[in-house]
Amino acid sequence: LQSQSNQNRNAILVSHRQKGNPLLKHIRNVRWVFADVVCDYLLGQNSCALYLSLRYHLLHPDYLYYRIRELQKNFKLRVVLCHVDVEDVVKPLLEVTKTAMLHDCTLLCAWSLEECGRYLETIKIYENKPADLIQGQMDTDYLSRVSAFSELTHALTTVRHVNKTDVVTLGSTFGSLSHIMDASMEDLARCPGIGERKVKRLHDTFHEPFKRVV
Amino acid sequence: MVLEFHQHIIAELLEEPNGGLVILSSGLSLPKLLSALLLLHSPSQGTLLLLSSSPSLKSHLLHHLPQPPSEITADLPASHRHSLYSSGLVFFITSRILIVDLLNNKIPTSNLAGIVILNTHALSDSSTETFICRIVKSLNRNAYIRAFSDKPTAMVSGFAKTERIMKSLFVRKLHLWPRFQVNVSDELERDPPLVVDIRVPMTKYMVGIQKAILEVMDACLKEMRKTNKVDVEDLTVENGLFKSFDEIVRRQLDPIWHTLGKKTKQLVSDLKTLRKLLDYLVRYDAVSYLKYLDTLRVSESFRSVWIFAESSYKIFDYAKKRVYRIVRSDGVKLDGPSKSVTGKKRKLKGKGGKEDEDSGTSSVSTISGVLLEEVLERHPSGRCYVLIVIILLQEVLEEIEEDRQKPASSGEEHLLDNGESDNSIVLVACKDERSCMQLQDCIMNGSQKVMREEWEKYLLRKVELRAVQTYHKKKKPKEPKGYGIRDGVAPVTPAQNAEASSVCKQEHDALLAAASKIRNRGTSDVIASDGPETLVSSRGHGKGRRKGRSKKDMANVHSGNNESNNKAATSDKPEIFGSENVGETDEIHSGAVGGYSEGIVEGADVDKGAMPEHTVEINATRFKDFKRLPPLYFYALESDQPILDILKPSVVVVYHPDMSFVREIEVYKAENPSIKLKVYFLFYEESTEGQKFEASIRRENGAFESLIRQKSLMMIPVDQDGHCLGLNSSAEAHATSSQNAVTRKAGGRKDVEKEMQVIVDMREFMSSLPNVLHLKGMRIIPVVLEVGDYILSPLICIERKSIHDLFSSFTSGRLYHQVETMVRYYRIPVLLIEFSPDKSFSFQSASDIGDDVTPHSIISKLSLLALHFPRLRIIWSRSLHATAEIFASLKANQDEPDEAKAIRVGVPSEEGIVENDVRAENYNTSALEFLRRLPGVTDSNYRSIMDGCKSLAELALLPVEKLAELMGGQKAAQTLRDFLDAKYPTLL
Repeated sequence: LQSQSNQNRNAILVSHRQKGNPLLKHIRNVRWVFADVVCDYLLGQNSCALYLSLRYHLLHPDYLYYRIRELQKNFKLRVVLCHVDVEDVVKPLLEVTKTAMLHDCTLLCAWSLEECGRYLETIKIYENKPADLIQGQMDTDYLSRVSAFSELTHALTTVRHVNKTDVVTLGSTFGSLSHIMDASMEDLARCPGIGERKVKRLHDTFHEPFKRVV
Repeated sequence: MVLEFHQHIIAELLEEPNGGLVILSSGLSLPKLLSALLLLHSPSQGTLLLLSSSPSLKSHLLHHLPQPPSEITADLPASHRHSLYSSGLVFFITSRILIVDLLNNKIPTSNLAGIVILNTHALSDSSTETFICRIVKSLNRNAYIRAFSDKPTAMVSGFAKTERIMKSLFVRKLHLWPRFQVNVSDELERDPPLVVDIRVPMTKYMVGIQKAILEVMDACLKEMRKTNKVDVEDLTVENGLFKSFDEIVRRQLDPIWHTLGKKTKQLVSDLKTLRKLLDYLVRYDAVSYLKYLDTLRVSESFRSVWIFAESSYKIFDYAKKRVYRIVRSDGVKLDGPSKSVTGKKRKLKGKGGKEDEDSGTSSVSTISGVLLEEVLERHPSGRCYVLIVIILLQEVLEEIEEDRQKPASSGEEHLLDNGESDNSIVLVACKDERSCMQLQDCIMNGSQKVMREEWEKYLLRKVELRAVQTYHKKKKPKEPKGYGIRDGVAPVTPAQNAEASSVCKQEHDALLAAASKIRNRGTSDVIASDGPETLVSSRGHGKGRRKGRSKKDMANVHSGNNESNNKAATSDKPEIFGSENVGETDEIHSGAVGGYSEGIVEGADVDKGAMPEHTVEINATRFKDFKRLPPLYFYALESDQPILDILKPSVVVVYHPDMSFVREIEVYKAENPSIKLKVYFLFYEESTEGQKFEASIRRENGAFESLIRQKSLMMIPVDQDGHCLGLNSSAEAHATSSQNAVTRKAGGRKDVEKEMQVIVDMREFMSSLPNVLHLKGMRIIPVVLEVGDYILSPLICIERKSIHDLFSSFTSGRLYHQVETMVRYYRIPVLLIEFSPDKSFSFQSASDIGDDVTPHSIISKLSLLALHFPRLRIIWSRSLHATAEIFASLKANQDEPDEAKAIRVGVPSEEGIVENDVRAENYNTSALEFLRRLPGVTDSNYRSIMDGCKSLAELALLPVEKLAELMGGQKAAQTLRDFLDAKYPTLL
């Protein structure tokens, strides 16, 4: 019993209610098992998710409310995973948004079963992950994996409308990033495919001071 | 002098005290019309505000008006702004400042004469401008609103756009002034400029490329039709030539973008690429064109559909043949300069013995087994256009000569005003800065030399590009061992694997060999003072191939190149001649000094082939009459300056035809009847260039016809006094009816009186949401908020993110910190993700979601955000209007927010010490984001980097020691320095 609960700690516990939901096919990166849980998907000790298809919501507008009420106050993170599977979304989504807001649920929208599955997987996998990734720091193991070329692309494409072709052009014309950064407007303008607006944007990015004088 | 039809327009406008919308053809000088109108303004009428003017329009106005209007900016203190608003003068103002001041009752609206809106075509019915008009009209019904646009084609996009905009601007009169209007055409055609239309035939390869591109385009369009997602009627090749084509397609596809397959998306971007290729064909020279194609191949080859289309092979092939040719030498070893071909190689065309355009100087490089023959097709423009420009100069010279002999010419009056030199300026109008520079180069140095330089650069680059390719494919981690050429020693290698290797391989080898020769020249001092004669012969001399490349080699190539460049620079002493023109006029150099004179003689020789009757003249122009050339001025149409009025040229050469510039010339001529204006149009015969020009005129006429039709059917509701009721007259009816529904539900209890309030951050007025909220009947209170963008109630604080913002602020970490503070200060912190109604309502299509959980997917970031802030609520909104509805329903059971409290939230208690917040206004955000993506730069050290150096350009030059100091660590500094200096494409 001990080992089983240990195993289940690393798995998503799925309510029997979800039997037959095609979404389950798309949970592939994490193990999942059926269990008796009050929510649809138990993603961690304090986090759970309810699955709601908007089409179903249109037929049973009260369903979400009753499901949320069942959860009581047992979870810190309560996700309403809303599968947007209707064309005319504005009205049903407004209702779902309001219900989720008033009852302390975090609403996540997904447009395909793949995407729904991916949200569940990600929340489970990232259960104990620090927030570095969204604090503006580069993930170190990501860094080591990507090639320098894609890193150059990564940096240069922060400048709006600069695309991969431009990165190749700039790289091969100027030789290195520091030469690109130091290039004059004229030199940039001589590159084929880089129009006046792009030249200006690039030049401004490199030559305008970081801090504007207020 | 004000043009007559401008006077007509103004008279019509003044007739209607409530203002009106003027749409005129592009190029009919909107700035002049405006300045004439502004001159009529007197302070007694009240203050006049100019909204949403573009920088170029501003500079035009500054040029035309004796006392240009000043600008009201956010820097001015509120009290100062107040006095300006009541001064009765004319001001530029941004819509953001105006709306905030209006909402805060900082503007004495009774003193407002009116508002002039300058870019009506860019508005929608929820733009801030319409918000401004609504409030101004509600406070001062007599203020007029005059709107202008010179982009009629943009006014007909979308359903009844003009009518909706007119209603939302509270304007009832529409004035249409197409070029074909009687008054306009009469005036402009009374004394038209002398037009010379020069059609230049395209070379046979250019025709081939053009045909191939059109074929590929057609194939792509056919594929597109198969998807059944786009309206077939618009899918024609002719439409495909225009930029607006992408817009048509995107407008239809954007709402369903996430449901499209990869292939359809690729097709859309392919069509864009193809259109560019077609455009560049007539704008770029042969070598640059090939260069661009190569780049495309490297960066796109795996994704594109078009590259694999049948005809696209021809594009690459012809482009290559324009530059060089590979010839089999049948195993015969060619040795020494004796065999290398120098000079002209002519091919006779069937008709009339006219020389084929593509024959240029050809030199042959010999490698065992393969010959690389350069067929530098002259600057497509270069060959013919440069010649023509020179001929034109000659003509102008002759005219001036005539004028001198007959001093009583009609132009005399003008000469007195501007001086002789100004009158003889020749203005050459190109599309972009790049063409300007290149054309200038050609005239300075001769197109021969320019092309030679381009070719050499191309070869050197080829080496590197090739490396990128192999780098990308990672197919061949190790190149077979070969012989490298260094320091001028060229080992002769037998053609060991010549049979085995494909033609393609040989071609590469040939190119590489040629490149290495150029490098050799650089290192071995050969060409320092030699003429091109020896240059070419030395080219044929060296043999060998170079395969094994290392970083060292690459560096070598570079240094070699630099050296040779330096040499060229020292031997080429430019001489400045001609009068210095007004303002920032470029000086014109002549490069015919020293070692290069010989090269030009040779170039002229070749020219003889193409246009024998002019050769003598050209030679004369080049060598004898240099001092007497009239000053040339190159002007890029993109820069949009009042160039004609500044320079007052008497000859204009339109190098790239552009509809609005042609009209500007007409207007200029009509305004200055005394100038004998001569206009030369240079077209490629049978090129899409000409088609495009004609089609753009057709399109504009079509737009006007549709506008005229719309005008006849337009219904603008007006009240008894003739004031326009505005767009919301119908919206209000809708609102009350829905409120009725609510009251019915609640058993007739009335709660409508209560006005909802929303506190909005000042910066949010860039978006249209405040406008839509106001339309919904909410009171908008603009303040500076430290935390959040919208405060709906004492509990609810909302941070709004458009999709673009969402992605970028996740990357920069800004969102994390914003959410962190919201969570700290508010019970219900909310992230609002707002989609654009014309884009798809989703982040990605199912097929774009990979197999693994990746840290950089938006799903991962949102999940992480939710995990770290379980109290954060997320609103997903389809559009602005949906957002407004959600806000209204969220506020239903909440108290109204407290303005004073909201302002204090998050502001540190001690006065003066404001937290280090990253705000868009204070920082160069794109530089900031760029900086933070550099390796070695972390969340903890980027601030000190910004303190220690001013800009990225400065950062690029810092030595590693200084970097270590700023970044707080040797290791991080070294990482960054290495990345900055890494040789492309090896990089790390």
